Amino acid sequence: MTSMILASILLPFAGGLLTLILPRGWIKAFSVVVSLLAGAAGIYVLAAFTAAGKVDSNADLLYIGQWLIYGVTLDKLSVLIGAALGLVGFLIVVYSTGYLTDKNREHPEQEVERRFYFFLLLFIGSMAGLVFSSTMLGLLVFFELTGVCSWGLIGYYDNEKARKAALKAIITTQVASLGLYAATAYFFALTGGTRLSDMAALTDGAKTAIFAGVLIAGYGKSAQLPFHFWLPDAMAAPTPISAYLHAASMVKVGVYIFARCIVSAGSVPRIIGIVGASLAIVTMVYGFAMYFPQRDMKKLLAYSTITQLSYIFFGLSVSILGSQLAFNGAVMHIFNHAFAKSLFFLVAGALAYVTGTRMLPNLRGVMKKLPLIGVCFTVAALAVTGVPPLNAFFSKFSIFAGGFQAAQMNPWLYALVVVAILESVGSFAWIFWVFSNAAAGQPSEEVAAAAPLHPAMAFVLVTLAALTLISGVFAAAWMG
Amino acid sequence: MNPFTLFIIGILQAILLLLLAPLYSGFARVMRAKIHSRTGPPLMQNYRDIRKLMTRQEVVSEQAGWIFRVTPYVNLACMFLAAMVIPALTTASPLEAAGDLILIVYLFALPRFFLAIAGLESGSTMAGIGARRELLISALVEPILLLVIFVMALLAGTTNLGRISTEVATGVFPFSLAYLLGLAAFAFAAYIEMGKLPFDLGEAEQELQEGPLAEYSGRSLAILKWSVYLKQLVLVALFMALFIPFGAMTELSIVGFILALIVFPLKAALWYFIAAIFENAMARTRFMNAPAVVWMALGMALLSFVFYLANV
Amino acid sequence: MTSIQFFVLALTLYLVGALLSLFASPRTSRGVAAFFGLIGSVSAVLAVILALTEGTPPSLTLFAIQPFGEFAFQMDLLSTLMVALIALVGVATSLYSFSDAPANVSVSFFTDLFMASMLVVVTVTNAFYFLVFWEVMTLASYFLVVWEFDKKESAKTGFIYFLVAHIGAALIMVTFFLFFGETNTFNFAGIRAATLPPVVKDIAFVLAFLGFGAKAGMVPLHFWTPDTYAAAPNHVSALMASVMKKTAVYGILRFCVDLLGGSVLWWGFTVLTFGALSTVFGAFYALSEKDIKRLLALSSVENVGIILMGVGLGMVGLALPFPTLAVMGFLAALYHMLNHAFFKGLLFLGAGSVIDKTGTRDLNLMGGLSRRMPWTALTFLVGTLAVTAIPPLNGFVSEWFIYQALLNAAGSDLFALRVFAPLFAVSLALAGAFAVMVYVKAYGGAFAGPARSENARFAKDPSAASVVSLVYLALGTIVLGLGAPWIAPRIAAVAADFAKQPLIAVSAGWTILPGNPLVSIVSTPLVAILALGLLIVPVIVVAAYGGWRASRRSNVEPWSNGYGYAAVMSVRASSFDQPVKVSFRPLYWVRTLVERPYRAAANFYNAAVESVRRAEPVVENAVTRPTLKLVETAGQWIQTLQMGDIRLYCLYIIITLAILLVVLFGGSGS
Repeated sequence: MTSMILASILLPFAGGLLTLILPRGWIKAFSVVVSLLAGAAGIYVLAAFTAAGKVDSNADLLYIGQWLIYGVTLDKLSVLIGAALGLVGFLIVVYSTGYLTDKNREHPEQEVERRFYFFLLLFIGSMAGLVFSSTMLGLLVFFELTGVCSWGLIGYYDNEKARKAALKAIITTQVASLGLYAATAYFFALTGGTRLSDMAALTDGAKTAIFAGVLIAGYGKSAQLPFHFWLPDAMAAPTPISAYLHAASMVKVGVYIFARCIVSAGSVPRIIGIVGASLAIVTMVYGFAMYFPQRDMKKLLAYSTITQLSYIFFGLSVSILGSQLAFNGAVMHIFNHAFAKSLFFLVAGALAYVTGTRMLPNLRGVMKKLPLIGVCFTVAALAVTGVPPLNAFFSKFSIFAGGFQAAQMNPWLYALVVVAILESVGSFAWIFWVFSNAAAGQPSEEVAAAAPLHPAMAFVLVTLAALTLISGVFAAAWMG
Repeated sequence: MNPFTLFIIGILQAILLLLLAPLYSGFARVMRAKIHSRTGPPLMQNYRDIRKLMTRQEVVSEQAGWIFRVTPYVNLACMFLAAMVIPALTTASPLEAAGDLILIVYLFALPRFFLAIAGLESGSTMAGIGARRELLISALVEPILLLVIFVMALLAGTTNLGRISTEVATGVFPFSLAYLLGLAAFAFAAYIEMGKLPFDLGEAEQELQEGPLAEYSGRSLAILKWSVYLKQLVLVALFMALFIPFGAMTELSIVGFILALIVFPLKAALWYFIAAIFENAMARTRFMNAPAVVWMALGMALLSFVFYLANV
Repeated sequence: MTSIQFFVLALTLYLVGALLSLFASPRTSRGVAAFFGLIGSVSAVLAVILALTEGTPPSLTLFAIQPFGEFAFQMDLLSTLMVALIALVGVATSLYSFSDAPANVSVSFFTDLFMASMLVVVTVTNAFYFLVFWEVMTLASYFLVVWEFDKKESAKTGFIYFLVAHIGAALIMVTFFLFFGETNTFNFAGIRAATLPPVVKDIAFVLAFLGFGAKAGMVPLHFWTPDTYAAAPNHVSALMASVMKKTAVYGILRFCVDLLGGSVLWWGFTVLTFGALSTVFGAFYALSEKDIKRLLALSSVENVGIILMGVGLGMVGLALPFPTLAVMGFLAALYHMLNHAFFKGLLFLGAGSVIDKTGTRDLNLMGGLSRRMPWTALTFLVGTLAVTAIPPLNGFVSEWFIYQALLNAAGSDLFALRVFAPLFAVSLALAGAFAVMVYVKAYGGAFAGPARSENARFAKDPSAASVVSLVYLALGTIVLGLGAPWIAPRIAAVAADFAKQPLIAVSAGWTILPGNPLVSIVSTPLVAILALGLLIVPVIVVAAYGGWRASRRSNVEPWSNGYGYAAVMSVRASSFDQPVKVSFRPLYWVRTLVERPYRAAANFYNAAVESVRRAEPVVENAVTRPTLKLVETAGQWIQTLQMGDIRLYCLYIIITLAILLVVLFGGSGS
């Protein structure tokens, strides 16, 4: 299994580098093949892990002297997320081959750009590296790499707005990553290495300091208050990138490192849970309030991503306060949200591709004129708002149930959980209202004049919709 | 008493009521004429009218469906059933399994429903408006009826009309102010339900040409008129059975039977007499004023209920 | 085969029907869904019949997902009754939808899915799966309501429906979380066995009651019902009104009474009061509708009110404790559930046929259909007689039981009950009188009088399958009414088992009685026989006068004071409300009062959106830009160090060397 993991990390790196020298005509097909192999490797690891009885294991790989630089860790958290990200990565690459063409009415592309596929494949590899890392140094290195790839991809269209957005993104996440730098350095100083499993032996004070650093970096990467403002502007990126980086994977880096540290630390100081839960609720409410003025579909989805991430932070913080169910729910939500949100973004991208606009007031009657996109739109809207039997319901339900469980010992938590549930209902109301307005009724001008959809994009939309339907039950059964 | 005997008495009682009903209507009309200082039609005129109508050709509007044709017969059958089960000659209900107060009140809804639909079916404006008014008045009156029935049922411990009647007749019933007020409220409600002035809004002759009856003719009109007369008498019988059942047979005997045969028509005549006095002391009111008066009756019923609660 | 196997077969058939209809053409999908719906429902009926003969409640466990629990079905008596209800009505709607449902793949798919989810909801024994399938039920019905999604109104109606249902589901979800927090399980058995603190129980009751009440359509959460039922396809409106509302009442019964114990006095009173309010207001608002489906929807609100009154009385009986009242209250509620399913389904399907043939839902544009659509008219008449509680049909029987239960309650020791029970009886009577008006308006407007539009002139009966479904429901209504002496004891057994109280006698021979024959007895078959038999009396009377020899002419116009008759002279459906609106103006005023907060909320919302729009770039302006400016300024300031003059650089080097020498050797030297 370790070799498969390494394959899922190194293959995309190699592939990315190769795209810089391959002939242009081969790049698309080559990227699809590479990402397919990487994704398959991730799924293989999932299957093998399950077959082996879901037993945790570690493998140390890279040493400098006696310091462990990098190793891989196999447990439920890394395997599940790794498989999901690899699979979604493959789907995004396929989608991009259709999206970044001259048929795109919103952003027509004349020729294949190497840097897109280079950064994208590099990113896929970095994510795999981060997810499977068993050292904090590994987390840090891949953390930074994903930031660089994100900068390259946000600024892809190379206009004023895109460049500014890319710069804002990288500066914000860099400032936040100082937290992770500090945490890693402190960890190294205390234990003489950065093996994550050593965290369990530290004192509470040390753990608090490290977690504080991790949380700061996580908040930056996952666009929580006060580091959230780069995400809406990052919507200047091409939509497949918004779907992958800024919905499914890069923003999940923040929650992932938090989750990984929780798993490694054994018992986490309560103060982290209290602070984490409270800040998560604040972000949740803020993100929700920001839905209302949005006219651009992608910006609305960006704020929705912010709130969904705060759910995950909330779940993880609640798990510190005493509920394993909340932790499982948070991990399941990382898994489920990846599919649901990327589907939603890709639907937005498809709408932009065929009509030339993604402004909500101009999108009407989608279901009548564009039934395939309409159905996927429906599935995405239902999934993101947490309606069963679609996936996000199962993870949200677990987080809430875990919250009620932990509230037995911490009565103040009841208020927070109730706010979270209220926000969930409010999100449902708003997003579903927006969806209902856009999908139903007679087609607007732009929709009526829609071009046909590229088959690659259609394939990806349908696959993601199917995955969204089943991933909830699958994850619940697998984690439980 | 033997249920079979009771059943026979029930049938006899219903036939008696059927035969007497036009007489009492005639009696009310004679009273009105007397109070108006005129001679008016004779007492038996209703019987002659019915006989005459029976032999006339029926003329039916072309839009009328089967409900229109069936309504007079259904109404008469229903009222006959009610006449069978209400204790008039005996204090026990002749047909106990159908002698439940709630059943009887809801049974009155069937003829009302059919008559209203028949009024609409004919397509005549008068009939339609009459139907509408009829329904509104009954909507206002039914709560009163039910409240009084409830109070009586609570006092007696049963909704079986026969049992209540027996209790009142034999003095076992807990008489109280609640009973008296209930009596007054029920009398008022029955008065309204019978369509006496000023509440003959359904068949307001001056305005609506008899309302739902307007499109009927020939034998259907005869049967329908008869069922209207019977309904009025049945309501009187219901009132008597609940509140003033004295004179009816508690035990089966020839003497008791003859006594009941005399007392009951006398009681009914007394009621019609008092009603006629009230009726002719006022003119028919505007339709929209009617509900206000009905609220008064409801107030009385509520007062009776309050007194029941206070054990007065 | 055993009962549970038939049950699983029913579910499978529904799901197969749903899936197959996805791959068929629109017309074929309709037939496929109807066929599988029919045999699935029949299978469920067989399951019910077998379950009644088996000794122990049939149950089946499918799988378990920890920590949510096992996905298991169990058909205890209450669940069996619910399955019977769903299946029996499902037979009718499936028959009807063979030719009178919209030819639409989405409708076909979601109809069968809807029925399957309802079957699961009433038999599952775990709160988590209950919630999942509850929302699936809402989801399926949402897609059915918005089947004409190219109409903007349709989308808005569906959205409001989904929102209300989702909020209700969130409330129910919090109830389950409260259970889970205390007991660490979602299984019904575990929750039932646990002792919860009273505060938790009270909060759980309120949330569950509101959540399920929103779905059941009780006042004040009823406002979504008229638009939703009007928008849905006809057979789906029938399913929603007859069956889906009952699953909500089942939820109240299962969670508030079975799991929570139900023996807190103010709970019963709350349910009873809301029931009475729904009864009166539902009937009243129905009167002002001219759209036949909206009228029927509001009438359903009235009937749900009656059912809730029964439930409330049962709960009060459990709390006092007063075993007879408990059983009678639940008996009345369950019996009315069953009755309402039949006659309301009948009314909706009949109305559906009328709407299809006349092309309109407006009662003022129909008329004269009793001659052109005789079967529809006849069955609709049976339905209206039942719903207005005219003896001896089934509506009367269950209302009679409610009256008897109220009478029982009024005789108890609790003063509040002695005061309110008769008043609730009065409100029931008032609602009943309104109901008569409503249905005279509905039947009269649609079937009586002259044809008031072109389409009404040429309407005819629907296809054979639909007529069979209407007749089937009408026969069911009649059987439930006339067969009360034999059906009531079985339902009483369900009520007694569910409330865990001793069984009371509710029938003897051909009569029904409220536990004690001295209180009262009624025999509906006897009344029916007599009423039909006594029709001979007027016939004899006419014969005695020789009246049968007279002839009849029926080619005349109605009398119109000498003017030529025109169809506009007839009284239309809308004329019925005017007198009531005047007399009962205050009740309508309540409705307008509710509009004001709505407008205020809309204004508040607009203001909030504006302020949020202004807040969005705040961080940008307050933090990012100043920081960037600061960094730029600092950078430029530091840049002055690099002048480009080499002599300055030599100076830097000398100064640094000097400092280093001092630090390294100055300190150690001394």
